Amino acid sequence: MYVDNKKVQDLADNLSDSNEIEGRSLWQDARHRFFKNKAALVSLITLSLIVLFALVGPQFSPWDYEEIDWDAMGDIQTMGAPSFSSGHYFGTDDLGRDLYSRVIQGTQISLMVGLIGSFIAVVVGTLYGAVAGYLGGRIDSAMMRTVDILMAIPFMFVLILLMVMFGRSIYMIFIGIGLLSWLEMSRIIRGQTLSLKNKEFIEAAIATGVKPFTIVTRHIVPNVLGIVVVYATLLVPGMIMTESFISFLGLGVQEPQTSWGALINEGARTIQNGTLWQLLFPLFFFITTLLSFFFIGDGLRDALDPKDR
Amino acid sequence: MLNFILRRLAIAIPTILVIILFSFLLMHSAPGGPFTAERKLPPEVLANIEKKYGLDKPLYQQIGVYVKNVVTDFDFGPSFKYKNLTVNEIIASGFPVTIVYGLWAFLFATLIGVSLGVFAALKHNTWLDYLATSTAIIGSVLPNFVMAPLLVLLFTVYLNWLPGGGWQGGQWQFIIMPVIALATSYLASIARITRSSMLEVLNSNFIRTAKSKGLPTQYIILHHALKPAMLPVLTSLGLSFVGMVTGSVIIDQYFSTGGIGQHFVNAALNRDYSVIMGVTILVGTLTIVFNLLVEILYAWIDPRIRY
Repeated sequence: MYVDNKKVQDLADNLSDSNEIEGRSLWQDARHRFFKNKAALVSLITLSLIVLFALVGPQFSPWDYEEIDWDAMGDIQTMGAPSFSSGHYFGTDDLGRDLYSRVIQGTQISLMVGLIGSFIAVVVGTLYGAVAGYLGGRIDSAMMRTVDILMAIPFMFVLILLMVMFGRSIYMIFIGIGLLSWLEMSRIIRGQTLSLKNKEFIEAAIATGVKPFTIVTRHIVPNVLGIVVVYATLLVPGMIMTESFISFLGLGVQEPQTSWGALINEGARTIQNGTLWQLLFPLFFFITTLLSFFFIGDGLRDALDPKDR
Repeated sequence: MLNFILRRLAIAIPTILVIILFSFLLMHSAPGGPFTAERKLPPEVLANIEKKYGLDKPLYQQIGVYVKNVVTDFDFGPSFKYKNLTVNEIIASGFPVTIVYGLWAFLFATLIGVSLGVFAALKHNTWLDYLATSTAIIGSVLPNFVMAPLLVLLFTVYLNWLPGGGWQGGQWQFIIMPVIALATSYLASIARITRSSMLEVLNSNFIRTAKSKGLPTQYIILHHALKPAMLPVLTSLGLSFVGMVTGSVIIDQYFSTGGIGQHFVNAALNRDYSVIMGVTILVGTLTIVFNLLVEILYAWIDPRIRY
């Protein structure tokens, strides 16, 4: 033997070990960047806590959201204040209903409107924008010109009109808000599609004879998904704000169901009576949730932005 | 440049017509006419009233008459609810109010937002930058219907400095809270966009050249950096304008200022078709005109955009 067998064996083992470095995919890179962003991480935890609160909260309250507490109704300022003994953790509203349960109810409704509304906006907007961007030419001009015209219509007015005309059901709110917010999304998606259209893999797909609609759904849409997710997260607070806006006007969800906007409206009307908790509790949840969504959206955008890669 | 403006106008006019058509059709597809909600009228009286307002003619004739009236002499017709008022009178009573605090809010948001953004970009990563960024973030979650009660809580209930609502001819005490409530969230977004766009421009090569030539910083900002940095801000200005117009609805409700927004919501709840249509058309036209101005400014700043 010229060489120590064991030493060579060890060396050989080390070499082959160091060759097995695990690669990191782009999604893992993005996730790593996202979790490094402290604000986004805190917001994610806060948001999950709020969702948990909305789901589990009702178990802890002795009161229903529409039950009137006749004891408190005569004298809201003293009897309706937040306290653990009466079971009204957040106090009562002006009619004597438990604010804690109403805030939970409001959280459920507002979050649902935000998420479902932006889901509708995302689906419609993405398909419309991708099709317009991919087909190009005159069809693209026509579709985008329609979007421009629709954007010029003050959509808050149309929303109010829809609510007045077709009644104030919660489904109307979903449809109304979702259908009026896909416009922005379609513009962004169209821009992305235009830049993707000239890539070689699309050319390869066309050359192999894939139909245009299949190209759109199977190649373009998955590639714009990053931007879609970021803008969808940023759409949700906008939806919640729109819904709160019309609830504040009195045109939102119908009683006894409620949402943050309606609660803030009711709370705002009674501040001169000194019952500040009626305003401050829903306001706290509203602001916290919106801030969380903004930070998460910003964090996602920083994590997924191609310019940083 | 003139060519560009004319082309933009040529597109704007059909858009306005589409808005008129769209609001008309939307109104007429609603269940229930303007007179069916009142106490039960005998059918002959109902027929007479409908004939007076021209509601019995076929739809295309109604559209034709309406469009002609609107376009030729800005006549939006009579109000269906307040029988002795025309829509023009109702709008005329509310419009000056909305314009006054709307303009103030817009000026306030734009001037302070842009200055805050520019200074934050200049003093990047100093306390001013952090102040501006946190203001932007806080402002973005304080829409007008949140700011309005908070302002009233502070200035009317606790400090008793300002009246809680009303208009009374527009003295400054009545303007200040609506303006702040309306402008805050847009101030925040304008500041944010200005800051990021200014940061980008300040890092570009031509600014580096100007600095290395020894030009004073103030000159560089005013003469070289400001114009290109304004482009993204202009787009957001258009959106802010629309937002402030719709936000005026809330301001009117909460501060009882008697602007157009209040009239619109009342009309919507009363099914007063002509007022609803009139306000929608007015606001839509204003939006289009404003967007036209923004696009012209765009083309003036960046000559490459004149397609």
